[in-house]
Amino acid sequence: MGFSGNCPEVVVNGKRVVMGISFEDTMGSVEAGMGMNRWIAGVVFFFAISMLGTVSMAGEPTEAIRKTTDQILAVLTDPAMKGPDKESERARQIRKAVDERFDWEEMSMRTLARHWKDRTQPERSEFIDLFGSLLERTYLDKVESYSGEKVLYVDEKTEGDYGLVTVKIITHQQTEIEVQYRLKKKGSNWLVYDISIEGVSLVNNYRKQFNSILARSSYNELVEKLRTKLEGKE
Amino acid sequence: MNRFILSQKGNCLPGSSVRFLIWLTTLVLVLGMTSLAHAAGPGPGPSASETSLLAAHTEAHELVRLAYAEDQVSQASQQKGRSQQQAEKTGGEEPSPGSDAWDDETGSIGSIPDPLEPVNRAFFVFNDRMYFWFFKPVGNGYKMVVPELGRICIRNFFTNLIMPIRAISCLLQGKFEGFGIELVRCVVNSTVGFLGFQDVAREALGFQIQDEDLGQAFAFYGIGPGCYLNLPFLGASSLRDTAGWVGELYLNPLDYMVSDFWPNAGFRTFDMLNKTSMRIGEYEALKKAALDPYVAMRDAYYQYRLNQIEK
Repeated sequence: MGFSGNCPEVVVNGKRVVMGISFEDTMGSVEAGMGMNRWIAGVVFFFAISMLGTVSMAGEPTEAIRKTTDQILAVLTDPAMKGPDKESERARQIRKAVDERFDWEEMSMRTLARHWKDRTQPERSEFIDLFGSLLERTYLDKVESYSGEKVLYVDEKTEGDYGLVTVKIITHQQTEIEVQYRLKKKGSNWLVYDISIEGVSLVNNYRKQFNSILARSSYNELVEKLRTKLEGKE
Repeated sequence: MNRFILSQKGNCLPGSSVRFLIWLTTLVLVLGMTSLAHAAGPGPGPSASETSLLAAHTEAHELVRLAYAEDQVSQASQQKGRSQQQAEKTGGEEPSPGSDAWDDETGSIGSIPDPLEPVNRAFFVFNDRMYFWFFKPVGNGYKMVVPELGRICIRNFFTNLIMPIRAISCLLQGKFEGFGIELVRCVVNSTVGFLGFQDVAREALGFQIQDEDLGQAFAFYGIGPGCYLNLPFLGASSLRDTAGWVGELYLNPLDYMVSDFWPNAGFRTFDMLNKTSMRIGEYEALKKAALDPYVAMRDAYYQYRLNQIEK
C-alpha cells in the first residue's frame, strides 16, 4: 500500500531516535539525571500527544463513511422501499445521503487537474453539476445491486485534514473487494473526494479519460460528451 | 471493478505440447501489432512514418515525464489557488495545509505507454463484440443451469489447480510466508476440500489466497510494464504481463495433465466461461460510466496492476 508512514510507526521511530539522542547527550552532561528525566518526560509527552492525536482522530473519517453507508443500506434493505415502483424514491433518498458525503467540487477539481484553472466560474459549476451527476449515477448503479454483502471497516489513516478509510466488501461469491475512500475535512465534516476500488482510483481514471479527450479535441467537446453520456439510455 | 474483470488473462488458450505454438503465436502477434502500428502511423509524433517502435516508446515516456512535470507545476499553482479559495470560503479562519500530503497519491500516478493504441483499440472492439455476442449470452445460459454454489466450487477447483503459478511467483519475490501458505492451502484444499472444490483453507484456517503471478514477480525485479497491450480474448495486458502469462503456461498443471489440444482448450474455455458467468455486468458498468471505455480500461488495468505489485 502507498501509505507506509502511518502514525504508530512514526511514533515508534520517533521514540527510538529521541531515546538514542538522549543517551549521548546526557552521558556527558553534569545534570545527567535531570536531563535523563527531562528526556523521558519529553518522550512520554511526545508519545501521549501522538496517541491522543491518533485516538481522537481515529474513527472520525470511518464514522463518516459508516454513517453514510448505513443510511444507504437502510434505504436498500427497508421492506417498505422494495419494488420497482419505489425506485425513484429509493434513488432520491440514497442521492441525499451521498450528496451529504461526497465533495463533487473537489472531485471535479482533482479530475480536471491542470485544466481546472483555465475554466471560468460558470464553466466550473456546470462541470461540477455534470460530472457529479455522472459519478452519482455510477455510484447508485453500484449500490442498487446490493444484496446483503458484508461491509468490513478494516483500516483508517489520517494526516491532518486528510483521511483514508479502507473498507472490504465480501461478495456472495466469496471474494473480497477492497474499497478505499479518500476524505478531506471541511469545517467539521469529512467529505469524500476519491474512491478507489481494488486500487483503481476513480478520480485518476476519469482524469486519464478527460486528458485523452482534451488532447484530441476541446473542452467544449468534453462537456458535450459528458452531457450525451448522461442523457444516454438508462 | 473487481479483480476478475481485469485478470482475464490466464485461462483461455490451450497449452502443453502446443506451448511452443503459443509462444510463436504470441511473438507473431506482438510483432504483427508492431508492424501494424507502423502502418497506422505514429500519430502526432514528429517524424511521421519513420518513427521506430523504440522511438515511439521513448517518446511516450518523455510525454509521460513532461505531463508529470507539468502536473507538478500546475498542482503547485492550483494549491495556491485552492488555499486562496478556501481562505475566502472559511473567512480565513482555517488555512489549508501548506502541502497537500496526499495529492501526490492521486495526482501524479503516470500512465502506461501505449504506442500500439490503434491496434489495441481494434482488439478492444473485437473483445467487446466477443463478449456481447458470445461470452455474455452463453454465460447467462450457463448461469441459469448451474447454481451459484456450483460455479463457486468450479472456480475454486481451477484456482486450486494453478497453485504452482502463485507459489513460484511468491518464491521468486522472496515471499516465503506466501509460498508456505500456498503449499498448505493446496494440500488442505486438495484433500479435505474435495480436490479443491471447497476452499477449506480460507474458510476454516483463514489462509488467504496469495494474489501473485509471474508478471508481478517480474515487476519485483524492476521490470516495467513495457507498453500496454490489448490482446484478443485475453483483454488488457502489458508486454511484461503477457510474458508472464506465457511463462505461466509452463507452471500450469492443467497443461501437463491434459496435454491434447482440444480437451485442453475445452477446459480453459470452460474455466473462462465459469468466471465470466460470475462477473456479468461489470464490463457493462465500466462502459456505462466511462467517456472513453478504452482509456478507462487501460488506466484501470495499469492502476490495478500497480496496486497488486505494491502488495
